[in-house]
Amino acid sequence: MISGVAWVFGDDLNTDVIHPPEYFSLDPERVRQGLFAKYDSTMVSRLRKGDVLVAGRNFGCGSSRETSIRSLLLNGVGAVIAVDFARIFFRSATNNGLPCLTFADPADLARVPNGGRVSVLPDQGLLSTIDGRHIPLEPPGRFVRRIWAAGGLLGLLPAR
Amino acid sequence: MSGRTISDKIIDAHTVEGADEVHRLVRVDAVLGHDATIALLADEFDVRGLEIWDPDRVILTNDHFSPPSTVERADISNRFLRFARTRKITNLLVDRGICHQLLVEHPLCVPGALIVGADSHTVMGGGLGACATGMGSTDVLFTLATGTTWLRVPPTIRVVFEGTLPDDCSGRDIVLELLRRFGESGARYRSLELVDESTGRICQDDRFAIANMAVEIGAKFGVFRPDEVTVEYCRRRDGVTPAGLVESDMDAAYERTVRMDLTGLTPRVAKPWSPANVVALKDLERVELSVAFLGSCSSARLSDLAAAAEVLRGKRVHPDVRFVVIPASMPQFQEALRAGHIATLMDAGAIINHPSCGPCGGIDKGVLGADDVCVSTSNRNFRGRMGHWDSRTYLASARSVARAATLGYLGGEE
Repeated sequence: MISGVAWVFGDDLNTDVIHPPEYFSLDPERVRQGLFAKYDSTMVSRLRKGDVLVAGRNFGCGSSRETSIRSLLLNGVGAVIAVDFARIFFRSATNNGLPCLTFADPADLARVPNGGRVSVLPDQGLLSTIDGRHIPLEPPGRFVRRIWAAGGLLGLLPAR
Repeated sequence: MSGRTISDKIIDAHTVEGADEVHRLVRVDAVLGHDATIALLADEFDVRGLEIWDPDRVILTNDHFSPPSTVERADISNRFLRFARTRKITNLLVDRGICHQLLVEHPLCVPGALIVGADSHTVMGGGLGACATGMGSTDVLFTLATGTTWLRVPPTIRVVFEGTLPDDCSGRDIVLELLRRFGESGARYRSLELVDESTGRICQDDRFAIANMAVEIGAKFGVFRPDEVTVEYCRRRDGVTPAGLVESDMDAAYERTVRMDLTGLTPRVAKPWSPANVVALKDLERVELSVAFLGSCSSARLSDLAAAAEVLRGKRVHPDVRFVVIPASMPQFQEALRAGHIATLMDAGAIINHPSCGPCGGIDKGVLGADDVCVSTSNRNFRGRMGHWDSRTYLASARSVARAATLGYLGGEE
């Protein structure tokens, strides 16, 4: 189970905002510091392991720079729940074992309190709030489960 | 059973196995990568002791840091070059321009090809009727090692261009109009099948501009139906006629069809901070500018440089504006030099940088400061994309950018 604080965002949140280009680096500490650095410079210091990003439509649109995914993982983000995802972001997050799930009913986005504590059961497709609201998510498909089970896409590389 | 679209056919022809009803394992014809995103996967590739499945089908080029402007980027660039050279990549193109432009200048990018690239604008290969798409470094590592990737078969939206493109408009205006209509996610996970039925035919450079920004609409592919324009381009490039043009069936199943009459089109502009925040340039209130940028894989080809030179001939860049021109590739640069366009631009006061991504991604020379207001031929005006969080970027065509560079402002003309 993934458990932490919900950080709620709107639609079309792009990867240049998630991880500004100037933080592109091969140095993990530099990559970690860049998360939402311009959007909210206090966010990295306030994020805790298991926190969950919650967003509207088209989360992660824009650049394919995988530093955005790495930064989310380096900052302990446990899952991203959105109405839907941009395809490159969804692939890259899934490939790196960061669960991305969508609401079964997009209207449920409004039921997740920003800053409230939530828990997510990725395999079951369930998000629960601390005050007992249970919000159904689209359960992950067989193919996504297979990548998660392999520990990420590279676990599916044929044995040499 | 209904017929198949272009992307259906290309995916079918490349399928190795179907994992389920939606996911396919497909083989690819080419892989594209650049300094930034290949450097991200190099250590992992080495540690795992992997080998490139076919070094002749890989195109690698340094474009984000070309030449590098900081010590850290020089180190990233060197990591990339070491990876490419030890792997004996046949098509390692060093300091030759932006990877997407170099892809479409390469014989591997042909109609019907399936191409994966470690950058979102790989979709530009669709300008030649290829199914080309961008992915992250982990995906591309997998493809470099296996020659395959996993795909979902996307539904197709057909876009038919009709009428006549006005002289003051280009592919940039067409795709900005598409963005206005579709929004940032209107073609999310879709294949856009682009059919040119316009009277004058959209020129190949403009097709690249349109396919390039298909990803800004969320599309997986932005694939032009190959026609005589495609064939002529490939013939000039390769010396032979491209084989096996893939077209859709007469009864192909489209999610929907959108028709766009080009006749009434006027120059478009995308306001901060979304490429879909598009209005007609004539409806834009006057915006004072400090920077004009003609560059990026979305523009800065020969026809764009020619259009800018035509606007600037005998004129001067406004003294309050820095006009940065970065040709998309060395061949485009050299052709523009031979044609005299570069001299015209320089005579007017433009500055020319080496073919590379430049400030488009906010990481190289020409980035914006807090007070800068920029008009750009690049593909994204997301907040902070080209530099400071408070800087503002408007997207437009090369012609509109050049015109604004002379005026010192954008919009507000009667």
